[in-house]
Amino acid sequence: MKRIVLLLGCLLLVLAIIKEIRRTRAPQVPVTTSGRVEMCLFCHQEKPAKVHAREVVGCSPCHLGNPLHLDKKLAHRGMVKNPADLRVAERTCGAPACHPEIPARVHKSLMATNRGIITTLRLYWGEISDEKEAFAENDVKALLEKKEASSLALDYYRKLCGSCHLWFEKGKYPGFLGEKGGGCVACHLVPGPREAKHPRLTRKIPLKNCVRCHNRSGRLGLTYQGLYEDEGYGTPYLEGDFGEPFLADGRFVREIPPDVHFKAGLVCVDCHLAEETMGDGRAYTHFEESVEVECTSCHGGDGTTRKGRHIKGVQREGKQLIFVTRMQGKKLPLKPPNPVKCRHSVHQRLSCQACHAPRVPQCFGCHVRKDPREKQLDKLSGRETPGTWEEFRSYQRIDTPTLGVKGEKIVILAPG
Amino acid sequence: MASLLLAILSGLIISYPFREEIPLVSTAGLEGVIPFGALFRSFHYYTAQIAFLLLVWHTVEAILTRGYERRRFFYWVFLAGAYPLFVLILFTGYIIRGDETGLSAGRIAENLTYTLPYLGNLLNRLCFSVSEDGVHRAYLSHLFFSFGLLLVLSLWHFRLRRIKLEDLALWAVLALTLALIWPPSLEPPRYTLHIKGPWFFLGIQELLRYLPPFWAGIFIPLLPVTALIFFPKAPRTCLLGLVVWHLFYFIFLGRGLLR
Repeated sequence: MKRIVLLLGCLLLVLAIIKEIRRTRAPQVPVTTSGRVEMCLFCHQEKPAKVHAREVVGCSPCHLGNPLHLDKKLAHRGMVKNPADLRVAERTCGAPACHPEIPARVHKSLMATNRGIITTLRLYWGEISDEKEAFAENDVKALLEKKEASSLALDYYRKLCGSCHLWFEKGKYPGFLGEKGGGCVACHLVPGPREAKHPRLTRKIPLKNCVRCHNRSGRLGLTYQGLYEDEGYGTPYLEGDFGEPFLADGRFVREIPPDVHFKAGLVCVDCHLAEETMGDGRAYTHFEESVEVECTSCHGGDGTTRKGRHIKGVQREGKQLIFVTRMQGKKLPLKPPNPVKCRHSVHQRLSCQACHAPRVPQCFGCHVRKDPREKQLDKLSGRETPGTWEEFRSYQRIDTPTLGVKGEKIVILAPG
Repeated sequence: MASLLLAILSGLIISYPFREEIPLVSTAGLEGVIPFGALFRSFHYYTAQIAFLLLVWHTVEAILTRGYERRRFFYWVFLAGAYPLFVLILFTGYIIRGDETGLSAGRIAENLTYTLPYLGNLLNRLCFSVSEDGVHRAYLSHLFFSFGLLLVLSLWHFRLRRIKLEDLALWAVLALTLALIWPPSLEPPRYTLHIKGPWFFLGIQELLRYLPPFWAGIFIPLLPVTALIFFPKAPRTCLLGLVVWHLFYFIFLGRGLLR
């Protein structure tokens, strides 16, 4: 017995010595500027931008895992690749020391719930009789808990619209779908320099990030930057190739004069407030309930939205109000509405867009078809389920929009 | 005794690179910088745990063989008194690693001692005082009580028999095996409200959800020690009390483990 125990002891000792020799060891314990242990910094040389500097923040507050271990398996246990994913954002970006109030707001925002799209679709397809019906159910988060659609409209949504929301997992699918979604980083992520080996997080959201989703229906993101989704299928062909540029999803576009704000260097977040994009804590059903900026907030106003919030770019320089663009910091004079044309009594009911949106893409004869024989990817569950949806249209044009009456106002009507 | 001796020897080794003013950096350094640091830390942890479990076994054996009848009451009281002391040593060891759960457990213990009438403040100053002194007091009490326990136990046990090499080897092999398979963890800071203390404390932690701190943290844990002290005087009653207490405690401990 004594010999066996001693022999076993020697064997274990040899094993322990081998394990210790093979163990990765750092020359010293890496700590952040606040003295927090971050062993990750020994192996990982990635450098996020200054605001999330590795020396200050480290890795684990965002990516979780266990920063106290150097052993890869132990250190990476519970780690997340994308800390901004809404499934974990409350523990990462939304941690008490960072941005604690944001995740709860974002969860209720329309970009996370897609409640506007889902509710309207179900209402038009006769699945609900009132907008308030199934309020909680008409939310991406609720739909994610189910593996399959429970109705036709929901099946259509899950297969054709299910990639344009903040719950969509970034990088889950190949191609352009992989670039979409990701929670906070759906908007806030920009590529970093090659040597940094880490993308950058920014509050200067480039147009490209918004247009990754906002490019269908009204085609707002395209028209704004001077692109029109064309039916020319890339013709006329030039030098054996398509004669037109195309989007990441393969749709051809034609260049048209861009919006005047685009030419001035403004991007979406110059006008649209954080409370509009990330939510203000209320659960809305429609886009127009959430949007608070109006043309007159800047043009003729003092930068205050209809909900009383201030647009950051609108600043006072001497006696004059100017607009400072977010991306380049360009100072632009703010032009008030034309006192004769805009203030004329006969134009009082006209919305600004009725005159100032000379070209609006209009898609007529929209219809969809479901082929039950084929299978299609359900973008919420990630599984292929029976039934393929296809969208068709009769024709599309870019033209002066039709005007119509909405409440007290005359607005533009654009079938999309 | 053999396992306790191994725990103290390995504790001596890891105390050399340990600086109590930067406990977590020191522990992380043991794990990832100092050669053989992680191994000695794991070994220290398991030899101490085994020593505690062997103390339990020793007591059970003494009860089953009616060993308490052959011992003087003073020595029996000391055996019973070794329990709170040993738990305190294990608990302070849990605190001084300096990670999130360790320090949180320290703060819980600190607040529990305050509920003890008259002696609470003194006991806190002596053993914890985590919110004021970090792990300093816990570190000192860990060292002092460990050596104290060894010294007093040695006085008694070494008179009876010497520790055999095979005893040392057996417990070393067991601790080494556990150290290689399940190295003790280190918990990083988390923004979660759920903190799990050491395994033996989980029952108390669970009880704290339902009872005031004094009852859950002081009164109920002292019951088995009292029952053990008076075991030679009223064996049947105390045995019943100990069995009921352990059944009751293990239900809460299990619930705490599953959280």
